[in-house]
Amino acid sequence: MTSDHGFQPEEPVRVLAADGSFSPTPAAERYLPLVEALTDAELEGFYRDMVVIRAFDRQATNLQRQGQLALWPPSYGQEAAQVGSARATRPQDHVFPSYREHVVTRIRGVDPMDIIRLMRGLTHGGWDPFDPRNGNTHIYTLVLGAQTLHATGVGMGLVFDGRMGTGDPERDEAVIVYYGDGASSEGDVHEAMVFAASYQTPQVFFLQNNQWAISVPVTTQSRTPLHRRGAGYGMPSIAVDGNDVIASYAATKVALDEARAGGGPRAIEALTYRMGAHTTSDDPTKYRASDEEQSWAKRDPIARLRTYLESRGASEAFFADVEAEASAVADDTRVRTNALDGIPATKMFDHVYSEPHPLIDEQRRWLAEYEASFEEGAT
Amino acid sequence: MTTQTFVLPDVGEGLTEAEIVSWRVGPGDRVAVNDVIVEIETAKSLVELPSPFDGVVGELLVDEGTTVAVGAPIITIVAEDEATDATAPSAAPVTVGQTEHGAPAEPPAGEGSVLVGYGTGGHVQSRRRAVRQAHRERVAASVGVIAKPPIRKLARDLGVDLADVVPTGPAGDVTRDDVLKHAEQASVFRNIQTPDWGTVREETIPVERGAGAASATPVIAPAAPTPPADEDREETIEVKGVRKATSSAMVRSAYTAPHVSVWTDVDATRTMELVKRLKASPDFADVKVSPLLIMARAVIWAVRRTPMVNAAWVDTDHGAEIRVRRYVNLGIAAATPRGLLVPNIKDAQDLSMRDLARALEKLTLTAREGKTQPADQQGGTITITNIGVFGMDAGTPIINPGESGIVALGTIRQKPWVVDGEVRPRYVTTVSGSFDHRVIDGDGMSRFIADVASILEEPALLLD
Amino acid sequence: MTETDPVAGTRPVAELAEASTGPSTGSGAGGSTPPAPTGTQSMPFSRALNTGLRAALANSDRVLLMGEDIGRLGGVFRVTEGLQAEFGDRRVLDTPLAESGIVGTAIGLAMVGFRPVIEIQFDGFVFPAFDQITTQLAKLTNRHEGALSLPIVIRIPYGGHIGAVEHHQESPEAYFTHTPGLRVVSPSTPNDAYWMIQDAIDSNDPVIFLEPKARYWQKGEVDLDARALPLHASRIVRRGTDVTLVGHGAMVTTLLQAAAIAESEGTSCEVVDLRSLSPVDYGPILDSVRRTGRMVYAQEAPGFTSLGSEVAATVMEKAFYALEAPVLRVSGFDTPFPPAKLEGVYLPDADRVLEAVDRALAY
Repeated sequence: MTSDHGFQPEEPVRVLAADGSFSPTPAAERYLPLVEALTDAELEGFYRDMVVIRAFDRQATNLQRQGQLALWPPSYGQEAAQVGSARATRPQDHVFPSYREHVVTRIRGVDPMDIIRLMRGLTHGGWDPFDPRNGNTHIYTLVLGAQTLHATGVGMGLVFDGRMGTGDPERDEAVIVYYGDGASSEGDVHEAMVFAASYQTPQVFFLQNNQWAISVPVTTQSRTPLHRRGAGYGMPSIAVDGNDVIASYAATKVALDEARAGGGPRAIEALTYRMGAHTTSDDPTKYRASDEEQSWAKRDPIARLRTYLESRGASEAFFADVEAEASAVADDTRVRTNALDGIPATKMFDHVYSEPHPLIDEQRRWLAEYEASFEEGAT
Repeated sequence: MTTQTFVLPDVGEGLTEAEIVSWRVGPGDRVAVNDVIVEIETAKSLVELPSPFDGVVGELLVDEGTTVAVGAPIITIVAEDEATDATAPSAAPVTVGQTEHGAPAEPPAGEGSVLVGYGTGGHVQSRRRAVRQAHRERVAASVGVIAKPPIRKLARDLGVDLADVVPTGPAGDVTRDDVLKHAEQASVFRNIQTPDWGTVREETIPVERGAGAASATPVIAPAAPTPPADEDREETIEVKGVRKATSSAMVRSAYTAPHVSVWTDVDATRTMELVKRLKASPDFADVKVSPLLIMARAVIWAVRRTPMVNAAWVDTDHGAEIRVRRYVNLGIAAATPRGLLVPNIKDAQDLSMRDLARALEKLTLTAREGKTQPADQQGGTITITNIGVFGMDAGTPIINPGESGIVALGTIRQKPWVVDGEVRPRYVTTVSGSFDHRVIDGDGMSRFIADVASILEEPALLLD
Repeated sequence: MTETDPVAGTRPVAELAEASTGPSTGSGAGGSTPPAPTGTQSMPFSRALNTGLRAALANSDRVLLMGEDIGRLGGVFRVTEGLQAEFGDRRVLDTPLAESGIVGTAIGLAMVGFRPVIEIQFDGFVFPAFDQITTQLAKLTNRHEGALSLPIVIRIPYGGHIGAVEHHQESPEAYFTHTPGLRVVSPSTPNDAYWMIQDAIDSNDPVIFLEPKARYWQKGEVDLDARALPLHASRIVRRGTDVTLVGHGAMVTTLLQAAAIAESEGTSCEVVDLRSLSPVDYGPILDSVRRTGRMVYAQEAPGFTSLGSEVAATVMEKAFYALEAPVLRVSGFDTPFPPAKLEGVYLPDADRVLEAVDRALAY
C-alpha cells in the first residue's frame, strides 16, 4: 500500500498472506466461520476464475496491439477482488460494474465477447442486463461514478417494492456497485452514498482501490483511507486485502447479506493494484516506478492462492487443466474477435428513443437515399 | 503456404504513425500468436506488438528507426499449412489489420467499415462518384406564386404583379426572365436566325417603276447669289483636292439617297470588359484592340441578318436595281491630315478577330500617314464612322456614295443604367446610323441598329 | 434459488398498471384517493399540473414523484401540494438536496420498473444534473440497444418575468433540445399543462417538461375529459393573414398580446404555440407560413444557437418559395440573464415582437 502520506492504515481484512499462507488478520476474525466453510472445490473454482480471466485479459490486450480492438482496460492484478466479490453475490442480486470488471460480468453469466464487441467499437453497451442469462449485470459505464447513483436508485426501488428485508436471503435482493479510487472523488459517488444512507438501500459500495487513476496516485484523491468515508455517511465500511480472494469473498458476502436483510448500505474498500496500464492507450512508465510494480507482483493474487491450494493438496493435474482451459479461452477469444462483422450504418438510428420519432425517421431515410446515390462499391 | 501481413495498428486512440524501434524477430524465425515481435514508439509511449499470426517470419518490411504511418505493412509471416493438399483452396494472402480502403476482409462500404484500431488514418479519400443527379425537390406548391425572394423583389421594383407572370422555371417557379418579359424595360436581345451566305456574292433586285422609288434626280434649287468676301473679316479657302471630292460626294449622296437616321442607347459594359481581356491576351499583344473592333464584327454579323443595309441602289439604263452584296468591304471613316477619307477593308467577313484588328490598325495608320490609295477607297459596301472619339453620342452621318448605310459609334462612357432592377453605373453608348430609304425601310434599319447594339451589349452572341 | 423477474421497464403503461406488484411501503399513504374530476374547470396552471400529477399517481403505482421540498411543502410553487399526504412518502419523495443524485437514482428506479417524475426546483439548478441527463438519461436506451426504456419526466420551472434573483429565470431549453435521446415539451396553458404532464409520464422516453413559471398562477379553462392534442403537436392558437408568430411557453401569451396590438394597427397576425420543442411539429407552422409568407420566432432564451434559430432555418428550407421576408427571431440578448431590475428590458415583450413584425413587413 502506498502509505507515505501521514496516515496509518488499519490492517485490512485478510486471510491469505502474500506468501500464500493462511494468516488471518484481527479484522478477519468475524469472517472465519464463513472462510472455513469454503470447500476445496469452491477454492479451486476461485483459482480457475482468476487464471482464466487473466489469460483472457492478456489476450484482449494483445488483440488491441494487433489492431483488432480500439482499446482494452486490463483487469490484470485485480482478479481476487473481483472474483471474491462476484462469487459472494446471490443470483437475484443486481450488479453494477464500472468498466474493468471483466471477471465479475463473466461470473454473472455475461459472454466476455460482449465486452470485446464494446471495445471493438461495435456497440456502446454489449449485453442486455434484463436477459436472465446475464444475471442482472448492468453494462459498463464509462462516465466515472455515474453508475453508483443508478445502483442506489435500484436499491431504493427494492426498498419501495419490499424486495428485500423479508428475512429470506434466497429471495431478498441486494445491489453491488463497483467503482475505483479515482471515481471515488466524483460528486455522483458522494450523492449516491447520501441517497443510499437516506433510504437505507440494500447495497454494497465496492471500491477497488488499485492505487492509480491513470497517472494520479490515490493519495491525491484522498488524505484519509478511502474506507473511512463510508462511516461519514452512516454506513459500515471496511478495508479488505483485494489481492486475497478469500477475504474479498467473505467480506462481500457478509456485507451483501446484511444489506439485503435490511441493515442498510455498506462500503468495502478492496486494496489492490492495477498491474497493467489504465488502458492500452496509457504508458505507466511515464509516472510510476517499476520497483513499485515489482513489489506488488510479489503480492499477486493468483500466486498466493496457488501456494495455498498446493498446501491443501491440489494436484498438478488440476493446475494443468486450469492452464489448458485458460489457453483455450484466450484462443477462442482471439478467433472469435477476428471473425467479428461490422454493423450496418442504420444501426445508429435504432433505439435513440423507445417510441417513434419523426426526426430520426427522416434522417434514417435520408441516409439510405444518400448511400444509394453512389456507385456500387465506391469507398 | 499463406503469406500473412501485419500492418501497423493505431495503439493509442488516434495515433497516426509510429517509429519501429527494435525488431525482436528476424526473417526465418518461428513465431507463435502473441509472441512479441517488435517494439514501436508512438507519440504517447513505447509499445510492444504481439504477433497476430503463427508461422515463420518472412520479411521485415520496415527498418529500425523508420517512422511509418498507421496502416503500413510492417512484417510478413508465412503460415505453415499442415496439409497442403491439392484440394485446398489456393492460399490467398491474408492481411491482418487492413485499413478501410479496398480491404477484402472488411465489411462492405457503408457497413461500419472503419476498423477499430485504425481510427484516424490520415488517408485522403477521393470523392465518391454519384450515380445520378442530386434529387431536385419538387416544391409542394400550396396557394400562391412560387418565386424566390430575389425574384419577388425584382417584380416589386419593376411593378410586375407575380400573379400575372407565366412561370417557366423547373419547379414551376417564376424566373427572372419571366419577370423581365413583363416589365416595361425592353431588352435588345433578339432571337432570330442569322442565315449563312453561301457562295453567291450578289443578287440583283429590279426596282418597279413608280413603286414609291424616288429615282429621279432631285431638283436642286439654285442658291441665292453670294456677295464677295470681306477680306478683313473672312478667310477664303479654295476648294480642291480631298475637300472637293468629299464635298461633291456628300452632295451627291445627301441629295440622291433619302437619308433616315435611327439610333439606340446600349449598355456596352461587356464590350469594354471584352476589349480589356483581349488587350491582356497574348494573342492580341501585338495588335490594337478597341471597341471599334467589336463594332466592326457586330456590323458584319448584323449585315448578314439585314442584308439590305449592305446593298446599293444602282440606276441603270433599264431601270433601277438594288444590288445586294454578300460580302462586306467595311469602310472606316478616317479623319486624316488630308481630310476625310473612307478606306475599306476588303472581304472583312472572312477575317478572324485578330486579322480584322490588324486590318483596322493598318488602315488607320496608313490613313494617318496620308498613304491611303484610291483603290482602298473603292468598292466599299457599308461604313462605320467613329464619332465617339470626338466625344459625340450620335449623329446623322451621310452615307458613303455607293452604299446604303453608315453606322456611327458614339462615345462610350459611364452613365446610370438599370441592371436587375437597380440603378448602377455602366458603360453606355449610342449606336446610330443613317440609311437610304430607297433601299431599306424603317424596320430593317431598326433591326440592324438593334442587332449591332445587341452585340455591344453581349459580345458573346458572336460565338453563335 | 429464485430467478429475478426481468425488469418491467420496457412495458407500456397499461400493462404496468395491471402488473403493479403490491402496495407501496413506507409511511404516509394516508386517505383514499378521491375520484378524478371531470368536466371543464377554470384553474391556475399550477393547479392543472397538480391535477394531472394526481391523476398519474392514481393511474399507476409505478409513478413516483421525486424532488426537493415537494412532499410536505408541496413544492416551492405548490405544484405538488397535497400529493404526499394523499399518496405517501414512498410515492412522493422529498429527496436529499442533490440534483445529480435525484436524476441518477431515478434512472436506477426506472431500471426496476418505476416511472419517476422529477422536479428540479428551478431552471438554474438543473446543471448539477446535466451529466446524468446528457450522458446517462439521454443515452442509456441507445446504449442498451433498446433493452432498457427510461420513462422519466424531469419537470423544470423555467423562464423569467418573476423578478427573481440569479439562476431562477433561465431558459435552458437549447441544451436539452440539442441532446439526442431526450424529448422536450413546454405547455403554455393550464389545459395543456394538465394533459401534457400526463402524456409525458405515459411516454416511455425521457421527457424534459419545461413549465413557464411566469404562468403558474395564470388561470385557464381545463377540459378534464378530452385531450385536445398529442404531446408532440404544435398548434395555431390565433388565425391571421400577414405574419406568423411562433413561440413556446410563456412567450405564447406575449405573442397573443402583440397580435392584438397589431390588429388594432391593421396587421393580422397568426400565432402558433410550439408546445413540443423536440421533436418540433412543423406541419402547422409551415401551413401558416405558406399562407402569410412571413414569420417571427420569439423566445426568452438567448438567441445565439437557440431553438428559434433551428426552427427558423428549417422553415426557411421547407417554405423557401413562400417567403416574402427572411424568418426573424426575437430573443433574449446573448448575456447572462440580468439582475431582475433589467428583466423587462431583457425579455422580449409585445413591443419587441412588433418591431420584428414591422421589419418583416418592410420586405
